[in-house]
Amino acid sequence: MSRRVLLCMVVVGGVFTASCRSGESLTNAGIDRAPTPVTASTTPGQTTVPPTTVPRKLDTLPPCDVAALDAAAATAPVEITFWHGLSNELGRELERLTGVYNGSQTKVKVTLQFQGGYEETIDKYLQSNTDSRPDMVQMPEYMVQQMIDTKSIVPTQACAESANYDTSAFLPQALGAYATEGVQWSMPFNMSVPVLYYLKPRFAAAGLDPEVSPRSLEELLATSKQLVSSGASAYSLALDSDFDGGGGWYIEQWLSKSGEFYADNENGRAAPATNVLYDGAGGVKLLTALQSLVTDGGAVYVGDNASGQDTFLKLADATKPAAMTIGTSAALGPVLAIVRGGIIPGVLESEVGVGPMPGPNDGKGALVGGASLYIVDGKGGAKAAASWDYMAFLESAPSQSQWAAATGYIPVRNDALTLDPIKSLYVTDPRFKVAYDQLTSSLPGPTSQGPVIGPHKAVRRATALAVAEVLSGADVQTALTKAAQAANDLISNYNSQNK
Amino acid sequence: MKRKRRDSGLAALMLVPSGVILLLFVVYPLIKAVWLGQQRCGVTKCTNNGFDQYLDAFRSNEFQDALIVTAKYALITVPIGLVLGVALAVLADKYMRGVGIFRTIFSSTVATSVAVASVMWFFLLNPQVGVLSEWIGGIAKTPGLLQDPRSALWAVSASSIWANLGFTFIVVTAGLQGVPKDLYESAYVDGAGGFSRFTNVTLPMISPTLLFATVVLTTRAFQSFGEVDLLTEGGPLGKTTTLTYLAYGSGLPTSNDDGLRATVSVLLFAVLLALALVQFRGLEKRVHYGN
Repeated sequence: MSRRVLLCMVVVGGVFTASCRSGESLTNAGIDRAPTPVTASTTPGQTTVPPTTVPRKLDTLPPCDVAALDAAAATAPVEITFWHGLSNELGRELERLTGVYNGSQTKVKVTLQFQGGYEETIDKYLQSNTDSRPDMVQMPEYMVQQMIDTKSIVPTQACAESANYDTSAFLPQALGAYATEGVQWSMPFNMSVPVLYYLKPRFAAAGLDPEVSPRSLEELLATSKQLVSSGASAYSLALDSDFDGGGGWYIEQWLSKSGEFYADNENGRAAPATNVLYDGAGGVKLLTALQSLVTDGGAVYVGDNASGQDTFLKLADATKPAAMTIGTSAALGPVLAIVRGGIIPGVLESEVGVGPMPGPNDGKGALVGGASLYIVDGKGGAKAAASWDYMAFLESAPSQSQWAAATGYIPVRNDALTLDPIKSLYVTDPRFKVAYDQLTSSLPGPTSQGPVIGPHKAVRRATALAVAEVLSGADVQTALTKAAQAANDLISNYNSQNK
Repeated sequence: MKRKRRDSGLAALMLVPSGVILLLFVVYPLIKAVWLGQQRCGVTKCTNNGFDQYLDAFRSNEFQDALIVTAKYALITVPIGLVLGVALAVLADKYMRGVGIFRTIFSSTVATSVAVASVMWFFLLNPQVGVLSEWIGGIAKTPGLLQDPRSALWAVSASSIWANLGFTFIVVTAGLQGVPKDLYESAYVDGAGGFSRFTNVTLPMISPTLLFATVVLTTRAFQSFGEVDLLTEGGPLGKTTTLTYLAYGSGLPTSNDDGLRATVSVLLFAVLLALALVQFRGLEKRVHYGN
């Protein structure tokens, strides 16, 4: 083959490739139908499928009989395996709690299997068949709809009813996060919400009260301007567009704080969601406010924060630092430990301030993040009952008090707060209680339960693209419309594959 | 004739073990992947969609974007990696004391896993604590090199070039040692200078090695996943979403659909096959295989 022929091939191939672009999304590949029209519905409370009054959905799902445990354990302990995604200190604390449980009774023996992280747990679980799946599994909050669609779980509500389990002490937000269509699918275990981290010395230098953090978005903008104009800080607020942070999770939080739905069908809880709603007036207003924080408020956009550390590290920047950032409450322990190590000159551990995440409704309210516990179906009644027994131990007030104090997660039940060690921790360091107070101050009503969407993570990622563009100066409505279209394509294709 | 037939029977018998392994672990998964690639999947079941799904996927925005990103990535990493690898190999191809130490250092990245290299570069490029970021991007550049859509692909490429340098160095060093020394002596006698000896003797003599390294490096560039996953997760704004990341990354349109993942993987295979053909056909003529 001569060089000329080769050159021709390359040119022709290049032209062919370039002219090939169809302008369609990959998510529509192979689907032989017109894209679903976008309904610009933004009315809170609107449902496209009315809630039905037919027999309880729970009765159509796999049952749970907790008495099966006693019968099976009469001869030998029932052995169960539990897949989780908690690493380092979190994993060690779970091991410790599980050791206590295994040593406290003879009916059940739990074997923990760390899967390497949430993503690895999800991949392995979805790729496995019933035989190779565990008896119990931990899944992050964005997996609710997919776990329902695997049709592989025993709803924890079935076990709770069989055991006459008292849920009155639980935070309603905690249980509600994992309930859709009237069914409690899993039990909350490790809960976190986003909070505001700020450096008190920089607030003081700017003439602001270091003990008062901004609550509304307007206060956040005013505080930001003050921090920068006074010269107390090079930047005011470090913002990111991570889909698990500023690009996705926080957007859901902000819409909830303003009493708006993120997706239709009551955030996908009355019936599976079909469309996102954030391209409406509420979303535009929110992202415009975020944009003005960067353009007028001296906030700095650090990028998509894939590591989850860039916003925090911006507070420690040697030359052009920020004074505030928004991060998960679960990071409080590590953040304090790192500040104690002296990463920010002139800032002591005690001078790191924590306030509720500023937003509509004076920053009150939050959506539950973190992970929950599922019981796997098809393992036999004794295994399901044994899993429930272990789960009830993890959910108990003493366990939750211990777990929350050791990890920084929010206890899933109120009565845990009456027990040490969390009782004294909340008194000695109220910063740890900010997340709890924020969560429990949520508005009543369905907008205070976060969206449940099949391809939730992919939708967050599509949303994060819009946030990244907006924080870099793009037109808000255009970016949101494009993101909503991508999200709706993802949802409709997911729904059609999971009917 | 008779003997020949008996021999071929024996040959077939001896080929059976590798044939079975090939069928089981290469041919069967490939056919299965091609079949899966025309399906769309939910979490429990898959439905056949017809093979036009491949065309749809190839023409989709995401695939075309990823193809362009991957091509850019290969165009950055392969030439720079080759030039650096050859330069280091020529430098270390001397008979003198202590050259073994340098050879060990230069080839050491071959023993460094992608994960380790990526984490190392992640810290080097971090806008707050990274040394490199400060040198290249100026003081405390925000967003950082890995977070800025304009520099992210270059930053990932730097990590990849570094990690692959050991491989190129070893291959080229082996090639250099196969060059007969008398060729250099004749060239020297004919009055060729150092640069002239390099272009007229060294390069032609190691051209088969360079072809091999080019093909392997290109294939690696098209298949790179670890660097992207650890450094940028395909961001910012999808500027580092390579084809492999599109096939297996998380939070993408492919993530909830094993069918689409297979579609993209098979298309990646087709692209690589075409590329390897072009490389071999186009460059083979210019390669000098000795006598």
